[in-house]
Amino acid sequence: MSATDPTSPASMHSGTGPALAERVPLVSVEGLRVHFTSKRGVVHAVDGVTLDIGDGETVALVGETGSGKSVTAKSLLRLIPRPPGVIAGGKALFRSKMPCPGCRGAGCVDCGQTGRVGEPCTACAGAGCGVCGQSGRSTVDLLTIPEDELRDIRGNRIAMIFQDPGKALNPALTIRAQIAEVFAEHRSDELVSEAGLDDESGRLLRRAVRNRGRFFERRLGSLPPLRSQRRRVDAVLDGRIVEALADTRIPNPVKIMRSYPHELSGGMKQRVMIAQALACDPDLLIADEPTTALDVTIQARILDLIGELQARRGTSVLYISHDLSLVRGIADRAAVMYAGMLAEVGPAEQIFADPLHPYTRGLLAAIPTPGMGRGRLAAIEGTVPELIDPPPACRFHTRCPHAATACARTDPPLAIRQPPDHRAACLLYDDAAEVGERPEDMPDRSAAS
Amino acid sequence: MQVRDYVARRLMILPLLIVGTSIIVFALSRVGGSPIAIYLSHEMTADEVAEIEERYGVNEPLPVQYLAWAAGALRGDLGWSGVSSAPVRQIFPKKLAASAELAVAAGLVAVALGISLGTFAGARRDRWPDHFARIFSISGASMPVFWFGILLLILFWVILGIAPIGRSDPGVFARIAHPTGVYTIDAILAGDAGALWDAIWHLILPAITLGYGTTAIITRMMRSSLVEELGEDYVDAARAKGLPERIVLRRHARRNALIPTVTVVGLSFGFLLQGTVVVEIIFRYPGLGRWLADAVLRGDRATIMAYVLFTSVLFLLINLIVDVLYAYLDRRVVLGE
Amino acid sequence: MGLIIIVALVGMALLAPVLTVPNTPDPAQMPRDWGALNEPPGTPGHPLGTTTSGGDVLYGLIWGARTSLKLSVIVVSITVIIGTIIGSLAGFLGGRIDTVLMRIVDVFLSIPELIFALAIAAVLGPSLRNIILAIAAVFWVKYARLIRGQIIHVKQNEYVDAARVIGDSRLRIYLKDILPNSMTPLVVQATLDMGHVVLIGATLSFIGLAEAGLAEWGVLVSEGQTGISAGRWWVSLFAGGMIFLWSLAFNLVGDAMRDVLDPRMEGR
Repeated sequence: MSATDPTSPASMHSGTGPALAERVPLVSVEGLRVHFTSKRGVVHAVDGVTLDIGDGETVALVGETGSGKSVTAKSLLRLIPRPPGVIAGGKALFRSKMPCPGCRGAGCVDCGQTGRVGEPCTACAGAGCGVCGQSGRSTVDLLTIPEDELRDIRGNRIAMIFQDPGKALNPALTIRAQIAEVFAEHRSDELVSEAGLDDESGRLLRRAVRNRGRFFERRLGSLPPLRSQRRRVDAVLDGRIVEALADTRIPNPVKIMRSYPHELSGGMKQRVMIAQALACDPDLLIADEPTTALDVTIQARILDLIGELQARRGTSVLYISHDLSLVRGIADRAAVMYAGMLAEVGPAEQIFADPLHPYTRGLLAAIPTPGMGRGRLAAIEGTVPELIDPPPACRFHTRCPHAATACARTDPPLAIRQPPDHRAACLLYDDAAEVGERPEDMPDRSAAS
Repeated sequence: MQVRDYVARRLMILPLLIVGTSIIVFALSRVGGSPIAIYLSHEMTADEVAEIEERYGVNEPLPVQYLAWAAGALRGDLGWSGVSSAPVRQIFPKKLAASAELAVAAGLVAVALGISLGTFAGARRDRWPDHFARIFSISGASMPVFWFGILLLILFWVILGIAPIGRSDPGVFARIAHPTGVYTIDAILAGDAGALWDAIWHLILPAITLGYGTTAIITRMMRSSLVEELGEDYVDAARAKGLPERIVLRRHARRNALIPTVTVVGLSFGFLLQGTVVVEIIFRYPGLGRWLADAVLRGDRATIMAYVLFTSVLFLLINLIVDVLYAYLDRRVVLGE
Repeated sequence: MGLIIIVALVGMALLAPVLTVPNTPDPAQMPRDWGALNEPPGTPGHPLGTTTSGGDVLYGLIWGARTSLKLSVIVVSITVIIGTIIGSLAGFLGGRIDTVLMRIVDVFLSIPELIFALAIAAVLGPSLRNIILAIAAVFWVKYARLIRGQIIHVKQNEYVDAARVIGDSRLRIYLKDILPNSMTPLVVQATLDMGHVVLIGATLSFIGLAEAGLAEWGVLVSEGQTGISAGRWWVSLFAGGMIFLWSLAFNLVGDAMRDVLDPRMEGR
């Protein structure tokens, strides 16, 4: 598979985030809690997730079905269905970026060739204050900002691609219409000025382009003087859409643009989704299992494509996956999620080379590798516990081969176990806790396989 | 399969269905009792009876009779209406205009109201508008049309005394010409605002009575398909683009939810047609439905046959249009059996 | 809630001879009290009033339930049996038989059901028996189509292939594997139709296709209708209300069953 090929663009990028990443993360999720009310009680789908995503960094969020990884990702854009879902606590700080003033987005030394730099905090102009948490960058909490501000961010600064591109595209609209919505929503000013129109007629047209106007305004837009102007706007829009599609190396983008989703293959549809997501050069791309629904042969190509586009634009990516092996070649950092909580977070290389949490070890042991003998594949015993009003205990203790009595009584903190930032939520590494088995007693992975 | 091929196949089957329907209608007229009983009386001599039998060809073999009747129907000759003492073809258009006016009024209200109410409820799932819509639609589906009409009559006619009965005020009727037989259009053609108001005023209660059941069905369908569409990924994807909730609902979810609703609208046309029979009896509205009811009670087979044949062909055509529309609208649908 | 109404109405139908003094010679006919015409509710001996021809409204409501029960049970059983047979033949045998049967079904479906039943009942002449025949003649098609679709769907399941591989006979496969797994939507449809049949039957008798003087809700509404302009609202109101309750109850239960049997549709 070319995703794990060290010369592929995706792999080349891995582990080489800009220096800025270490200073201020693009996104800081702190103690996120998402609950769902059900007939039998409150389901703690996400129960205190803390995670940073640096500028240009690729973070993989890995877990089984039902571990809460998708819910975590969706709550960054507040896409949780409410009711029954409710964001019960925590913060999701987002520090958006803007075109680099030095090179106007062309890419220069200042911005590390990405063409984008952090947007200074409006309250202190970058000096650092209480509003921006001393970071000096414009900071908002995605979980609490007003709906219209959030909409400015959705699709513009943070975009998302979904698991099944066949379901995530509206079957009744052409590809053009669906991508046009993104530009119309976030780039209408640019479109109007590129079409060479003045502000006055532009205002009306902008509403028309956004398909937002009242009935009469829309009729007015189809009258002769405005109609020709509208055509010019449409032509500019077409150019943008073709450009976005061509970026994803879709053959014949003009033809694709006029198609309906059902006329395209799964891989094509996912490319369209990527084109749509990256249309406005977002700072963060959330990719929710973007290859799960695709053929194995297409998967690697889609992963390469995301990696390549990300490297060129300096986009951060939050990668949601249930497949550890897929993540290995593309992520800078990985976070392993289990039953609504993070089990382990750290640099991807370290997690694969030296997993700390027993759950991660189990997952890795369950991956078949070439050269492995028959019948050696390890499965984790038991099933994921129910998340209705969970007791304060390690969520994994019912399945953990090393579980001690303390594990059933205490919720293990996600503490640094290996400097600088490899964390694991496991009492076995806690010197203070009275547990029977020490980490050094735990069988290491090489012995297990 | 292409939509075009699908349409072509449906069009090929259509004549077959029409012929089948006409055979059933014909068979009905020959079951139990003489088809010409209504034309006979006790005072007739045997010769006179024989002459009538001869004229209507009831002594021929059945296939010959069927062909004769079908050929007549194709020419527009549907026989002699006993209840109206006139040829069916003469009475039919007038009655049809009256019923069409009523059914279209009821249908338009039902579609508009049903879609809005269904959208409103579906977008507010499990909150009070949704519960209200549920009660509304399930009681609409269980409501006997005639009882609902009578309830309205008791309230607006007997108690409040504000609603009219019949189709128009005799004075107003005499005032203007009726070239189309559709009184609202006639009034507009005559430029008579008073007559238009009179026509609408007489339509309101019957249209509400007739439209309630249909509104209920459309509301229910619209609500459930909207709820289903709102759970689809593309709705989340639309939200993730930064579109406002209003646009997400209208441009994305409602658009797709309308597609299955279209089929129900087509089917509910049959519902409206049936409903005219009782509604017209209750409100003394002189349309096709009451004509049929009279014919049924008097055993006037020519009228019954004409009515059943006409409504069935109409129903077939409308269903064809709806299916084609559905195939065209829903690009996900895989055409075939 | 729907179930409570059903139990109450069916109980009323079964206990009719206990609740009232049956009319002789035919208890299904309304008793006539020629000394008390058009009495309003609350009249001694006639708690819910009387009709224009002196029929006791309460008697009509109670025996009407019996008529409705008879009507719906007979029609639903006949149509389910005929529909299952025809639908099974079409779905299980397939091929030309299927094509021919389904074209016939299509023709039947192309006539709006009330109109069709009305026309049949009209040529057969006014009586409850003919109403039953007419509705049955129209309703079987729905079941035939339902069962056929269901069987074609179930037939594709692997356990059917498995049974075939084992060497079970076709009849055995049909009876043991296919039919039981096709019944779910049939049960739901039959429940909904218990209400629907009464609605249509009442409509036919309202128009005048039942025997005059029959203790049936539609007949009562029709009889009461003439008195409405004179302010005699009770006959139509009570009788129509019973039809509404009956049909509502079966709709509620049928819907609830659909929700339970088809979890995918829950809450929709």
